[in-house]
Parts: sequence; C-alpha cells; structure tokens
Amino acid sequence: MAAPWLDVLDETIGACTTHNRPDLAERLREKRARQLDPKLRVLVIGEAKQGKSQLVNALVNAPVCAVGDDITTTVPTFVQHAETPSAALVRNPVARRAITDNPTERVPVALDQLAKEVSAGYSGEVVRAEVGIPRALLTSGLVLIDTPGVGDLRSAHTASTFAALMQADAVLLVSDATSELTATELELLKQVITNCPNVTVVLTKTDICPQWRRVLETNQAQLARAGVSAKVFAVSSALRLRAAQTGDKVLNAESGFPDLLACVQRDIVSAADQLARRVVAVSAASAIQQLVAPLKQELTVQNTKRTEDTIGALHEAQRRVDELRRRSARWQTVLADEMADLVSDIEFDLRDRTRKILREVDKTFDEADPAKGWDSFEQWLEDNLTEAGAKNFAWLLDRSEWVAEKVAKSFPVYREDLLPGSIFPEDVLERISAIERPNIEKFTVSQKLFTGLRGSYGGVLMFGLVTSLAGMPLINVVSIGAGALFGGKSIKDEGDARLKRRQAAAKNAAQRHVDDFFIKFSKDCRDAARHVQRSLRNHFSTLAEELQETLLESARSARRAVQDDASKRERRTIEVRHDLDKLVELYKRVQVLGGSQVALGISA
Amino acid sequence: MSLENKVLGLLNEALIVYRDSPRATSWLRNQLVRFGEPVRIAVAGSTRIGKSTVVNALLGEEFTPGRGFTWYRDGVRARATAFTPSGPQEVPVVRRDGRAHVEMGMWDQVDRVIVDWPTRALRDATIIDTPPTATSDQVYREADAVLYLMRHLQDVDLKYLQAAHDNPIARSSPINTVVVLAKADEIGAGRIDALSSTKQIARRYRREARVQPLCQNVVAVAGLIAVAARTMRPEEFTALAALAALPRAELEDHLLSADRFVGGDFPVVMDPSVRQALLERYGIFGVRLTATLIRQGFDTQVKLVTQLVQRSGLGELRDSIGQYFTERREVLKARSALLALDVVLRAEPKPAARKIVMDLERIVASAHDVRELRLLAALQCGRTRLPGALETEASRIVGGLGTAVQARLGLEYEADETEQRYLVADLLARWREQAANPVLDQDQRRAATVVVRSCEGMLSGLG
Repeated sequence: MAAPWLDVLDETIGACTTHNRPDLAERLREKRARQLDPKLRVLVIGEAKQGKSQLVNALVNAPVCAVGDDITTTVPTFVQHAETPSAALVRNPVARRAITDNPTERVPVALDQLAKEVSAGYSGEVVRAEVGIPRALLTSGLVLIDTPGVGDLRSAHTASTFAALMQADAVLLVSDATSELTATELELLKQVITNCPNVTVVLTKTDICPQWRRVLETNQAQLARAGVSAKVFAVSSALRLRAAQTGDKVLNAESGFPDLLACVQRDIVSAADQLARRVVAVSAASAIQQLVAPLKQELTVQNTKRTEDTIGALHEAQRRVDELRRRSARWQTVLADEMADLVSDIEFDLRDRTRKILREVDKTFDEADPAKGWDSFEQWLEDNLTEAGAKNFAWLLDRSEWVAEKVAKSFPVYREDLLPGSIFPEDVLERISAIERPNIEKFTVSQKLFTGLRGSYGGVLMFGLVTSLAGMPLINVVSIGAGALFGGKSIKDEGDARLKRRQAAAKNAAQRHVDDFFIKFSKDCRDAARHVQRSLRNHFSTLAEELQETLLESARSARRAVQDDASKRERRTIEVRHDLDKLVELYKRVQVLGGSQVALGISA
Repeated sequence: MSLENKVLGLLNEALIVYRDSPRATSWLRNQLVRFGEPVRIAVAGSTRIGKSTVVNALLGEEFTPGRGFTWYRDGVRARATAFTPSGPQEVPVVRRDGRAHVEMGMWDQVDRVIVDWPTRALRDATIIDTPPTATSDQVYREADAVLYLMRHLQDVDLKYLQAAHDNPIARSSPINTVVVLAKADEIGAGRIDALSSTKQIARRYRREARVQPLCQNVVAVAGLIAVAARTMRPEEFTALAALAALPRAELEDHLLSADRFVGGDFPVVMDPSVRQALLERYGIFGVRLTATLIRQGFDTQVKLVTQLVQRSGLGELRDSIGQYFTERREVLKARSALLALDVVLRAEPKPAARKIVMDLERIVASAHDVRELRLLAALQCGRTRLPGALETEASRIVGGLGTAVQARLGLEYEADETEQRYLVADLLARWREQAANPVLDQDQRRAATVVVRSCEGMLSGLG
C-alpha cells in the first residue's frame, strides 16, 4: 500500500541528496522507516467473561485466542500480521524479575497449542503470547491485544494492563449485552479515557439477548450522562464466526461486525494515516525550507551583483553561525539544570510517598498483631507501593514533557518539529521481590507453662517464707495462691513482650521492603530521567547541527557568488531558479498533505 | 439444654435487664417474635443478575418484580401489604396474562412489601427479594440466610460476602450463605452444554480458598429455565413441540440469534408474538434446549418439565436450601438472635448486662450445632475428605439426612431406646478412635471430634 505521503517524502529525500545535504536526507530516511512500520496497538479490555477473546477471534475470523466458560485468558495476547500463521510465547525465566534488567525469551509454539502452553507455564513466567496471522485487516500494522479480564482497578496485575494502555493507540472496551454498563465498567472507562482518548465500546453476545437494543440505548444514555463521547457497537461474535464457516454474507451483516470493522478502519487505521501524513508534512517542510534558504541567499547575492554586499552577506552568515554556537550553549545549560531539578524533585516526591506509607505501617502495627492478617497486610503494602510508584512515574513523564517545551523555548529558532515526538522509555513499571515474612514467634503452651512456673516459683517462695514465720509450712494455701497470681502475671507479661517483638519484627520487615522498593524504583526513575535527558540532547543537537549546516551552506554560496565570473553567474542563476521552482512545487504538495499553511516566504 | 432454649433464655434475660430502655425492648421483642417464624431467606446480588427470577423459580409463580424489599410468606389467601410512610396499607394482588401483579397504585416508591401467598414452597421459609441497592449489612440483618447470586467471582462479590462476615459471631459461624451462579444459561454464549459447564465452575468455586470460608455451598442455576419449567403453559408446550418437529438444520438456522428467531420468513406458521413470548420466557438458550430435549424423547409436558427442573439446577438449589437452611431453622434463628443481641449489648452497654455478654460468648464458643453444619457442608463440598465409608457415616451422624436420632443413626425401623443407646455407644467408641487416629490429618481428626461430640449429644438426649 503506497500512501501518497510516501512519494512526496521520497522526492524530498531525493532533493536533499541533490542539494548536497546528506544529513537532512538521513533524518528523513529515519522518519520514513518509522512511519513505514507503524504499530497500531488496539487494546481489547473489559471485565471477565464479557467475550473479549471471542471478539478478537471474530475480528480476524480465526480461533487465535483461547475461549472458555471459566476464566481463560491469563496473559495478554498480541495478534498481528504475518505472512504465515505463527505463534510464540514470551517468557521470563526469572519468575519475579528485578526492575533494571528483564531478559525475556521468545519461544515459538504451534498455533493450536498456544492455549495449552500458556496454561502449562507457571503463573508469572509467561509474560505474553504473540500470534501472527495473514489478514487484510492487520496489514496496516494493526495489533490487536487481548487482555485478561479486569476485576479490580487497583491490583498490581491491573497495573500492567494500564502500563500497556499508555502505549495503546485505541481501545475497545467490551461489555456483554446481558446487562447494562455497571458502575465498575464506567469507572474503568473513565480511567481508560484519561490515558487513551480513542475508545470504542463494544456490546457483545447480541445473539443470546433479545433485549440488546434496549441495553444499547441505556448504555448510550449512560455514556452521555457520564460525559463520555465513545461510540457503541453491538456485535455477535458467534454469528460472525458462523458466517465465516458457511460464507453467509447476510449472517455476517447481521452480526454487526461490518460496522465495527468500518469504524476500526476509519477511526483507527485512517486516523493513524492522518497522523503519519502530518508528521511527514512537518518534517519534509522543514527540510525543504532549509534547502531553499541557501538558494535564496545565492539568488539575492547574484541579483545585487555588488561585491561589497556579497561580502557583507558573507559576514552576516558567519556572524549567525557564531551566534548559533553561543546560544546552543544556553539551551544545553537549560536542559542540564532542569533535568537535575527534576531528578531531585522526583526523588523527594518518592521519598515523601514511601514515608507516608511507612508511617501508616507503624501506626497499624502499634496495635495490630502481625501474626494475624499478614497476608492482607502484604497485599495492602504491595498495592500502595505500586500506586505510589505509578503516580511518581506519571509525574516524571509530565515534568519531562514540560522540560522539553522549556528547552524548545530557549532554542535559537522556532521550527514546527522542535518538540520531539516521543522521549519516554518503554515499560519501566515492574514489580519488585516479595516482602519477606518476619519471623513470627508463637507463644506455645509449653512455653507458657514454663514461664508460669518460673513466675510462680518466686511467689511461692516469697509468701511461703513470710507465712512460715506464722508457723505454717512453706507450701500452704496463701503461698500457692500467690504463686498462681505471680505465674499468671508473668505469662501475661511474656505474651505482651512477644507481641511487641512480633510487631517490631513486622515493622522492620516492612521498613526493609519499602527501602528496597525505594532504592530500586528511584534508581529506575533516575535511569528514566537520564534516558529522557539523553534523547532530548540528541534531538536538539541534531537540530542545531542542521541549522549550522544550513547557515554554512549559505555562507559558502555567498562566497561562490563573489568568486564566480559573469557568464558563469548567469548560468548559475538560471539553475538556481530552476531548482527553487522545483522545491516550491514540492513544498506545495507537502502542504496539501499536512493541511497546514506555513508560507515558505519566497515567490520565485 | 438445646441451643434454641439457651438463646431463648438469654433473650428473655436481656429483656429484663433492658426493661428501662424502650428502644432495646422493642428490638428484643421483635427478635423474640422472629425467633418463632419460619427461616427468612434473602435473595441478593447485583443489578440484573436475576434475583426476581430465582425467587419466582422457588415460588413457582411469576411475580412482577417490585422496587424495594419484597417479602413472600405463607398465607391463607393471596394478599399484599405495603409499608408506606403513613402506615401499612393493604394492596390487591391480581393475575394478568399468566403473571401475578402486586397493584401498588400510588404506593409505587415504598421500600417494603409483604406478599402472603398460599404455596407449599413457603411453608417453612419466607423468601425476600432484595433491591440491588441494598447493602450487605441491610440484607444480612433482615434475613436469617442468604442466597447470593453472581456470574463469576469478582472483587465486588468477594467484598460483599466479606463485609457480611465482618463480625466475630458471624465469622465463627459462616453457615447462612449459599452462593448461586445465576445466569448459567448465558455461559458459553448459550451453547447447549452451558449448564453442565457452569456446574463444573461451581465445583471449582466450592474449593476456592477465598470462597470456602464465606459460604456453605456453590450451586449453578439457570433461573429463566427454572421459572419457565415451573410455570409452563400448554400452549407453550404445543409451540415448542411444533418447533422441535422441524428438521434440525433448518431450526438451527433460525435459532442462531434472538433476532432471527422472531424475524420474518419462519418455516412454521407461528405468530411472531408467540415466538416473542417464547423468547422472553425461555431465552434463546431455553428454546434451543427444549427443542433438543423434545427431540430426544421428552415429548410430553410432564416429562419435559421434570427434565427442565432437573437440568436448570433448581433441584440442587432446593436441596441446598433444605439441607442448610430450612432443616436447620433452629441454628439459623439462634444465630440471628445472637447477632441481634450483640447489637443491643454493644449499643447500650451496662454493668447489669455483663453476665449476658459472658453467656453470649460461651454460647458462641461452644455452639456445637454450628460446627455440625460447617462439617456437613465441608463433607458435601469435598473440602474435607474421610477415608471410605467413614465419610457417608460422618455426614449422616452430623445430620445430613435429618436431625432426628433415627435419621442420624440411619435406622430404617423403629428401634427402642436401649437398642439406640447401644448403637450410639458403639459409634461413639469407633469415632473416638478415629479422633485419635494418627493416620488421619489434622483436618480429618477435627472432623472426627465433631462427630464424637454429635454422638455424645445423642447419648445424653437418650438419657
């Protein structure tokens, strides 16, 4: 599929090469490669047992995802285009992996064995499944991602779904027609929309629900009330799959899938095409502008034909090169300063969040006994840490974007592609090792007995001696009573002391765990920040180099104009005009592509 | 002294201690009245899960669902009372196109209606249909036992059940909940074997560590089919038989989707409104299932109904209700009363009530009936397994077939007291051995201890 933008881009690259600017050509070629391999991630999410996997199967007309009556999908499945049907499992041999390095291995399996292989692996070991299948729908780079059902909005498991969400280009939220959207589904929808605004709600299983039209209306009304502008489609996967078996066109139309596919094609695929065109238009336009500048310079110089002016122009060009060098030092300083601030702020924020959690832990274990309810505490701590991490990381991303803007502002010239498209590293949210259970010592019966005896010994002796003064034997009613009292007290004291010890141990374990988390996660955040800084620096220095090259080229052409003789000059002028015409022509086509109207500033 | 008597005594004692507090007195009096009533079973669950459908299936009558709590209890004649802000108000119950309606008229928004309905199903249980907005607290306070409906185990469901057991008394006796996997007919997109597959899921949940401590049993029910089966009309059967007479392939084509089934160009002459009615009452799955069943030879209405009731899981649900709820009326009632008493003691603590608090604690800690019921459920769900014949014997002794001594001993003839005593003593000796048997694991030995205690109870009952 040759898109119109591809031709324009290729021509621009050709023009860059002929005008002796390999650096520009290289950059455009990179852009071209990136645009040619666009991965359009469409996430299929929803609660358990709504028919997500069956929807994916019906979309590609093949049983690629396992479907069952009980909870079936346990890992995300990526369905994408491939010439021959294939499947693979991405596994991570280290079950609970560290944040910094995550070596995964890819194991190819037979397509029909995929479901069995997924369930055979240990939980947590299989990270995701990948399926390649030749389908016209997927050739445009569409990747359908089938996810496990979302049950709880806050669990760590769901956090990975949300991490995937950040990279998704579009989302299909699946809900079945047997009931309206529930409160939890609406909540999910809102969360999704903040991350990825391109959401479509799909109502499945219309074949078994006579009232699906009413449910559809209710859902639309509900969405309108919630202020969510998402389209709702009613489909029946069973009908679609059946239609594919029998080749029944009418049945296919009844299944509601043609509408859904049209929507996917229109809103997701073509929206991506639109995006590609815009990106290409902007970068091609900026390249052409840079090509035009020296030519214009040459033309003006030759028109004036006055040597002094030419020399003046030469000086001017050199002055601007110097200016550029001077100011590029400035944006570098801005970048370094801002990133340093950012790192320290982020670290402080993380420290603050973890301290709050720790304080909560302390408060809890001042009263609670860790021997009871340790599991739920562990879950709670894990959840809270995940949440703190996620918030902290989201803040980092926000701030990085802001830094990029600020650096762009201090950049010497304004260009449309000044801000980089993506500066963020992928997938940093990983979980850390399990919290270790503190050594919980129980107060056993024999220990109690022993402690009791030890305590009572003193009591018996003390009172026995006193009462023996009154002529009674050493062991008498009073002394035994006192012994029992003392024994009981020492048992109670011992029990309390043990509880205190348990609490201290639990606090320690939690503290250690939070510290581990803090160290690992802050290291990770710092890495991410460094990564962002590096990519920003590369981006802006490439831009600066280009600018410099353009200015130098102008200077060179000015010098050429000074040196050349009249006849040569005449011929050169014609050449330059011809080139300029061609570039202007190209520029117009680029503008049609992008729909933006930035005047080139020449009328050749 | 039986648990029932102990609790009754405690309630009366509390009435004396709290005679100066009108609120506590009226609350306790209500509890005393409630103590003598049949078990109250509430049907709870989220929106559109099929609460009213399950209620209808149990009643064998199609009631149009109301808005608030609807109570169905046994009565001499059909009548309904709406609890309006201005006092109770009698409202008529009418039948319209085969369904029963409570004519609420202007009392449309009341939050409680009591329907008296003469039916055998209500003889030893009052059934409460709850609104989806009711909290777990409200439901569990109103009812002695709860059928909790859900599709699949989700966090919401788990939280609901956990909230219900967030009380020391409730936690020590989680014997009043049965989880129902409702909408069994929608599993697997209405495939013909959906019901058996749901039953398997129910079996899995019974062993799930998170569900186990919160309920007595998990059963799968296809509510729509159960109601339709219990209220099948002759003309419906005729229509279904006509459908089943069609060639299979042709019928399948028209049963692909609900839209197709009610659409035009249908192979048999059947009014679209008839088909629409069938669809509403049976669902697409129900029509598929009945057509298949009729073809397999269940070709009279009686045969078909029996088969449908059995397949829909209604039978299993009724067994569970019988075994865990209605037959254990005394335990459930006592439990509710203890919980209610606990509320009073917490709300209005006073020094004079200290003895009651201690008695309450003692009863809760020593209530053997509760442990019996837990063991019975554990044995029947397969949570606890005993070797060989011991398992059936254990479940019989703890009251699996009935709580009378005859039933516990499994006697088929009238034995005199001496013989019974002899038998019980023999059992007691054998189970004492089991309780100390080192081959068994801790769980099994604990089960044996409960059985021993049951034997001792019987022995002391025989005098």
